[in-house]
Amino acid sequence: MIKVVDLHKYFGKLEVLRGITEQVDQGEVISVIGPSGSGKSTFLRCINLLEEPTSGHIYIEGTDITDPQTDVNRLREKVGMVFQQFNLFPHKSVLENITLAPVKLGKMSISEAENKAAELLKRVGLLDKINEYPNRLSGGQKQRVAIARALAMNPDIMLFDEPTSALDPEMVGEVLDVIKQLASEGMTMVVVTHEMGFAREVSNRVLFIDEGIIVENRPPDELFGNPENERTRDFLSKVL
Amino acid sequence: MIDAVKRTLLEELWDAGPNGITLLLNGLKVTLVVTLFAVFFGVILGTVIALMRMSKKRILNLAARGYTEIIRGTPVLVQLLIIYFVVFQSFDVNKTMAAIIAFGINSGAYVSEIIRAGIQAVSKGQMEAARSLGMPHSMAMKEIILPQAVKNILPALGNEFIVLLKETSIIGFIGGNDLMRAGNKIRSITYEATIPLMATAVIYLILTLTLSHMLSRAERRMKNSD
Repeated sequence: MIKVVDLHKYFGKLEVLRGITEQVDQGEVISVIGPSGSGKSTFLRCINLLEEPTSGHIYIEGTDITDPQTDVNRLREKVGMVFQQFNLFPHKSVLENITLAPVKLGKMSISEAENKAAELLKRVGLLDKINEYPNRLSGGQKQRVAIARALAMNPDIMLFDEPTSALDPEMVGEVLDVIKQLASEGMTMVVVTHEMGFAREVSNRVLFIDEGIIVENRPPDELFGNPENERTRDFLSKVL
Repeated sequence: MIDAVKRTLLEELWDAGPNGITLLLNGLKVTLVVTLFAVFFGVILGTVIALMRMSKKRILNLAARGYTEIIRGTPVLVQLLIIYFVVFQSFDVNKTMAAIIAFGINSGAYVSEIIRAGIQAVSKGQMEAARSLGMPHSMAMKEIILPQAVKNILPALGNEFIVLLKETSIIGFIGGNDLMRAGNKIRSITYEATIPLMATAVIYLILTLTLSHMLSRAERRMKNSD
């Protein structure tokens, strides 16, 4: 589904990703953990080309997206993304936030998109907020709308960039529940997170990234229960 | 005092000539016409320059930067004189027209910075969110960025209008008959400085106060719609 081969990324002279090779199969849920500044968000943002890789290849469903010939917009329709800061469109209602892209991109008619939006909002438990504007929502509600917005494009893959890091503690649960539900429905997901409990419970595999490389890549029980690498042990001892 | 008011504003300034008030009102008309058209011209020019400034093409970017630096780095009076006496030296151009062009070119540089700042003040995450949904850059700009940027731009644009209104008071240097020139004319004809200059100042003040009042009301309404 996603195949990353020897991915490097420089910001100026700073090498943030130093050769990442990784494969994600359909239906897999991958958590990415690691200290801040380790490159985990950059890795995630390369997968939908919000960051342009300096070298290496990324294949999504067999297409090499680093090939300049690739239609980036078509690729992004298949890869949904949820941001730490939600990034809802403040001048659009909840409904419009969700329907805008599918309608403007000609994927759905207005009525189709509105039905889809209602269905998604029901799934994330916010159908009653359909006509609200984002500034009337709590952080947790915003993030659930953002998830619904990404799902409206019917993506095959969902990327989550620290989806709960900007939330008040009491709202973390409601967002994680939605992500868990998605996981149980078989969505392919890559989640950058600081929620170790979530990573342990939901993911098939956990990647520990440090200084731009994947240090450890194992199922959660093994990685959390018996970390092999010195750096993983050190990191886990600080956060757990 | 009353005598001075009569002499400068109400009575004919010379035989069969207009009185001071008429002269001031005619000047006011020129001031408003120049300001309105210059702002209009400036907004169009400013939009183009702002887009050039944000473009990835180096030549466009450089040209736009050169333009803003030159215009913002020289006095508007110098620009006005150059436009009228140098650029239009061999054309028979109306003084009002020359003033509109000069102030429009001047305002374009400032407006372009207002527009650029307004667009760049929209958080980067908005563009990323739009792009991550598969929207092309132009669609994201039109649907997501610009509607939010307008809210940043409009108040500053109103301010620019007020600034420009006051700056047009130098039109007299090329012989145009604006409000300032009218006041000054009355002074030199009647040898009475206080009343005509005060009257001129009060008219400017009424205009700017009205404008800024309208502006803050519009701003409040825009905030409410958030």
